Amino acid sequence: MLRYTIRRLLLLIPTMFFVAVIVFFLAHAAPGSPFDAKAQGDKGLPTATILKLEEHYGLNRPITEQFLLYMESVAKFDFGNSFRSGRQVSEIIGEQFPVSAQLGVQALLFALAFALPLGVVSALRQNTAVDYASLFFATIGTTIPSFVISIFAIYFFGVTFHLLPFVGWATPQHWILPTVILALGPMAFLTRITRASMLEAIRQDYVRTARAKGLGEQVVIVTHVMKNAMIPVATIVGPAVAGLITGSIIIEGIFSVPGMGREFLRSILARDYPMIMGVYLLYAFLICIANLSVDLVYGVLDPRIKVSK
Amino acid sequence: MATVTTTPGKQTTAERSADLNVLVRKQRSLWQDAWYRLLRNRAAVVGMVIVVLFMILAVTVPFMTQLGWLKDPLKQDTPNSLMEPIWTGSKFTLSTYPFGSDQLGRDILSRLLWSTQISMLVGFVPVSIIFLVGVTIGLAAGYYGGWVDQILMRITDVIYAFPDLLFLFIIMATLRNTALGDIQGGLLLIFVAIAVVNWVGMARLVRGQVLSLKEREFIEAARSIGAPARRIMVRHLFPNILAPVIVSVAFGIPSAMLAEATLSFFGIGIKPPTASWGVMINEGFVVFSTSAWPVLLPALCISIVMLAFTFLGDGLRDALDPRMKI
Repeated sequence: MLRYTIRRLLLLIPTMFFVAVIVFFLAHAAPGSPFDAKAQGDKGLPTATILKLEEHYGLNRPITEQFLLYMESVAKFDFGNSFRSGRQVSEIIGEQFPVSAQLGVQALLFALAFALPLGVVSALRQNTAVDYASLFFATIGTTIPSFVISIFAIYFFGVTFHLLPFVGWATPQHWILPTVILALGPMAFLTRITRASMLEAIRQDYVRTARAKGLGEQVVIVTHVMKNAMIPVATIVGPAVAGLITGSIIIEGIFSVPGMGREFLRSILARDYPMIMGVYLLYAFLICIANLSVDLVYGVLDPRIKVSK
Repeated sequence: MATVTTTPGKQTTAERSADLNVLVRKQRSLWQDAWYRLLRNRAAVVGMVIVVLFMILAVTVPFMTQLGWLKDPLKQDTPNSLMEPIWTGSKFTLSTYPFGSDQLGRDILSRLLWSTQISMLVGFVPVSIIFLVGVTIGLAAGYYGGWVDQILMRITDVIYAFPDLLFLFIIMATLRNTALGDIQGGLLLIFVAIAVVNWVGMARLVRGQVLSLKEREFIEAARSIGAPARRIMVRHLFPNILAPVIVSVAFGIPSAMLAEATLSFFGIGIKPPTASWGVMINEGFVVFSTSAWPVLLPALCISIVMLAFTFLGDGLRDALDPRMKI
């Protein structure tokens, strides 16, 4: 188990390296410079200034050399300075990551708090109104894109009835809409998984055995069915984290939440290479860690599954 | 092909089965069976009807515009900007703009319908590319194994470290100002970008199916009578992996449409003035708090199409393989 963990952690290095290679060359593939008029908005800079800026940031060197220099500084945990603000990338991320993390954790907790009971209840009352209602909700939640739901939510709660603010992140009231909407997708997905895996567990022989030996219904459901049904659910949390990250970019963009997602969108539009690279590497790292921890926890939760060597 | 062979020219199957006092079910192929199962699923039928309706609209919208039934989606009419749709009955309505107009005075109905065409193209073209490339490479990798398989698996590992949407964002943002990004308002670049991000999933699906099928007896039988590899792949493997592939295509189409809408919403998809639902929402978002219809209508269209494709996809999955789950 320990060897497996170490091996997986070491495998992170080549994966992250390839991510860096691809994103770096892709981001630099665009013609023109991040300092010309198209990227800067309408007020163009004088050519001499552009050349000077490019020299300062090393953009006039061959791209392979730029990449090697970048990797060298990344190895020293120096992610360079943002082209737009001139501040250190790590400093900006350090400011914004807590906001994004708060949004993500709130959404994940909210999703779990609703999805698990909903999935369990609809499995126990299969083919009743409760079940159909929760399936309907799950279909809506997985089908309708979050930015469309945001639009309807802003329209009803913000514009029409003035119930909730929808720009910024200043007060806890501002947290409600982004958190709930970000949670909807994972929530719907988790509900479906929970229901399916409950239905599967409830038909197992050991459940019949538990009933046959006279255990109360509650004990059977909680200690025998749910305990086993939660195993597949745990594995979904990994992909759910990836979903929350991409989702948060959209949500932060719409609700002007001052987090990494909004920063990423802006950096992409302004071709702020150091910012794009920094944020993307962090995202890729988080996703890899989430997947890895699911794989590790899986083996502990379910001894029937042997971690492959 | 009747189940009970009749003596030629004397009795029909029905008569003979009546004689034998048994019910003879008309023989149906597996695909016909699936089709009947699909038709029994009410939600799937509704989804299919809506999808077909939108497809008809997408095909006919150029003719409707040419015949003058629809306004030009790009023609600006600034004195009549931000007209309300007629059902609101406000004084800012004009009967010539049934769905209202946007802030440049363009007809929203016409723009919505032209967007349907963009959405359908974005739904079907990249998915066709994904189908062709993914199935070919998946078949080859699964059947031959070896280095083809090794390369496919390594590419998959790297691509899986990228969340689809982030990767699309980067591709679109960097390449949309190139010559490729200018063709057809950026449509071609979107096709390519979606195909590049998604073919791997299809190839992996096909590979997995082939791996589990190729040790089965019917493949062994084909090989033992000397069928060449190409024939085995095309005639024996391909038809048997088709069911999950069709389901994956059915879900791939709406997700490609959604990708386009999201990209356009953030201003890095279809280039204005070309209309697409995402572009319309993007442009209308500025005036959203005062006039909501230019945003609500395209949002509604996206929701309807997404739901329709999901119902259809769910129905197809249940019809083609009742054992597949979730």
